[in-house]
Amino acid sequence: MERENRFWRIVLLALPLAVFAVLVVWPLFSSFYYSFTNWNGFDSRYEFVGFRNFAKIYTDKLFLNAAINTAIWMVAAILLPTLLGLGLALLIDSRIPGGTIFKSVFYLPICLSAVVVGQIWVWIYQQDWGLLNTVIWTVTGERPAIAWLAKPETALGSVIVAWSWQQTGLSMVIYLAGLVSIQEELLEVCEIEGASAWQRIRLVIIPLLTPATIVVIALSVINSLKGFDILFIMTGGGPFHSSDTLAMHMYNESFRKYLMGYGSAISVVLFLIALTIIRIYFRQLRKLDEIHG
Amino acid sequence: MADVRLDGVAKAFGSVQVINDLNLAVDDGELLVFVGPSGCGKSTMLRMISGLEDVTRGRIMIGGRDVTHVAPSRRRVAMVFQSYALFPHMSVADNIGFGLKLARTPPAEIRRRVAEVARTLQIDPLLDRKPRQLSGGQRQRVAIGRSIIRNPEVFLFDEPLSNLDAALRIRMRLEIARLHNRLGVTMIYVTHDQTEAMTLADRIAVVNGGSIEQLGSPMELYDRPANLFVARFIGAPSMNVIPGTVTVEGGVPAIACGETRIRLSAGPVPPGTSDATLGVRPEHLSAVNKGEGDFAGRVEIVEDLGAESLVYLQTGLMADSLTMRVTAGSGLSAGDAIGVRLDPARLHLFDSRGLAIR
Ligand SMILES: Nc1ncnc2c1ncn2[C@@H]1O[C@H](COP(=O)(O)OP(=O)(O)O)[C@@H](O)[C@H]1O
Ligand SMILES: [Mg+2]
Repeated sequence: MERENRFWRIVLLALPLAVFAVLVVWPLFSSFYYSFTNWNGFDSRYEFVGFRNFAKIYTDKLFLNAAINTAIWMVAAILLPTLLGLGLALLIDSRIPGGTIFKSVFYLPICLSAVVVGQIWVWIYQQDWGLLNTVIWTVTGERPAIAWLAKPETALGSVIVAWSWQQTGLSMVIYLAGLVSIQEELLEVCEIEGASAWQRIRLVIIPLLTPATIVVIALSVINSLKGFDILFIMTGGGPFHSSDTLAMHMYNESFRKYLMGYGSAISVVLFLIALTIIRIYFRQLRKLDEIHG
Repeated sequence: MADVRLDGVAKAFGSVQVINDLNLAVDDGELLVFVGPSGCGKSTMLRMISGLEDVTRGRIMIGGRDVTHVAPSRRRVAMVFQSYALFPHMSVADNIGFGLKLARTPPAEIRRRVAEVARTLQIDPLLDRKPRQLSGGQRQRVAIGRSIIRNPEVFLFDEPLSNLDAALRIRMRLEIARLHNRLGVTMIYVTHDQTEAMTLADRIAVVNGGSIEQLGSPMELYDRPANLFVARFIGAPSMNVIPGTVTVEGGVPAIACGETRIRLSAGPVPPGTSDATLGVRPEHLSAVNKGEGDFAGRVEIVEDLGAESLVYLQTGLMADSLTMRVTAGSGLSAGDAIGVRLDPARLHLFDSRGLAIR
């Protein structure tokens, strides 16, 4: 019996592990490997160049630009959906009329792929007949001439808005689940002790939502680190690299300029950054765990 | 200082009527206990007084002020919950000082008053701890601390001791009684435990199915239960109830239970009464020699509790056994055939609707 169990345990684990190995571990190691070469992506011949690819990162202005954009992207993509999701969850939880409809409406974008979301927002931002400019036109009476995605000043921000629109639904649903798990009596204590709505939210609800916040931020961090597809659809990193992120830059170097070796070096750096962020995050998590139990 | 009055209060959740026409006056400084089985509506009554639950009908007065539509925080009431309802992310000190902080009391004063309350509840060494580092008894003290710090006029307790073990429950019961003596404020206390009710209450309201069955001092309820429900609910072990038929022979009322006739000295029986129930508390049965007393019985089980013993008797009166309370060392043991005598002055009689006949 025990032996049979072990057999099935191994078999059932083997399949996902194999998939993981082929799709994650192997590419990871091969990009480490290629980052020390000058491979162009299809030639069978290449040379080892030592740390030259990594040295190049130091002097690459586009890398610095992409790193800054990534930082902006991550901070915004974590803050916006988290705060908006929390706000919406609190609103819906306070039993405003039509709450269930709102819930579905805001959750819907999560069901769409980033490609679809990107395309929808490309239409919204379209200069001549896009929804945004049409609305501005109607409200101000003046015809705006802003090409949101084609201007360096607005491109990155516009993509961040589209991204947040999708992610907000996710954090809202997680916060709603967190709100349900708050013990009813704690809120009744607030009522009897005379807490204002704001005091209740600030002193009781938000601290008690810490577990939900941990999940929301973890998902935001992970999703924003790999946030590539929506950028690819909406701006492709342009115009003039104004919305390049590290993932985008890596793609450009590897698959547009055929500098697979250099692209791999960028991906290794990106991997190390992600690893550091995630480790810091988990260290904070453990500290929180000690407090909340 | 405030009295509490409920006038014709009713509560329905949707189409389910939970409380019917509740009328009650709780005196200033009184400790009133709501006792009743689970689901009878005790918590709902308390929550309507606190304002956490709206009334469907009726009026609630606290200290002569109509508070029916006043927010809970303006009723000057405090509530202690069975689950303690402490904020897990706050220290003991912050939990106790919560209400003061909400009222924007200066931090120095909050600290002073928290320390004062903690000292009276003997939890001052725990002020920096989190609730999960406390035992159940300590948690309940913190919850009580949070409720007394704002000097409320009425204290509401909803089964505050139900989550504690038996020994602690008795200690905390005593402390709540002390607290009541010291503060002298009105307290309304909900429990399903009749012992707690008997020991704590100035007056007890026995609740059943959303109505008060009887309201009175503990000994009133014990000695003169108004109906079968109260008779059975108050007192542990429960009163023995024996079904029978009332007859009057030569002007002397008696009750026939099976083959046995028991003479009733307890007042005149209204004419027309036939089916009735005889009630007798376990301590009002006594063992006599076989063949003597009111009827015969056989000892089934003896439970020795130390100072006294509970004796379960098989009799010809009914299928269930009767409980008899005797002082320890009675010498009775299982299988003994004895006679059973009832204290004629302590018999209770209930009519077919369960109402006491006096
Ligand atoms: N919010 C509610 N919605 C519907 N029914 C309720 C609600 N609260 C209590 N009840 C019902 O009211 C009755 C009395 O409940 P409760 O006052 O909690 O009883 P107790 O405290 O005496 O155990 C129960 O039958 C319960 O199911
Ligand atoms: Mg209850």
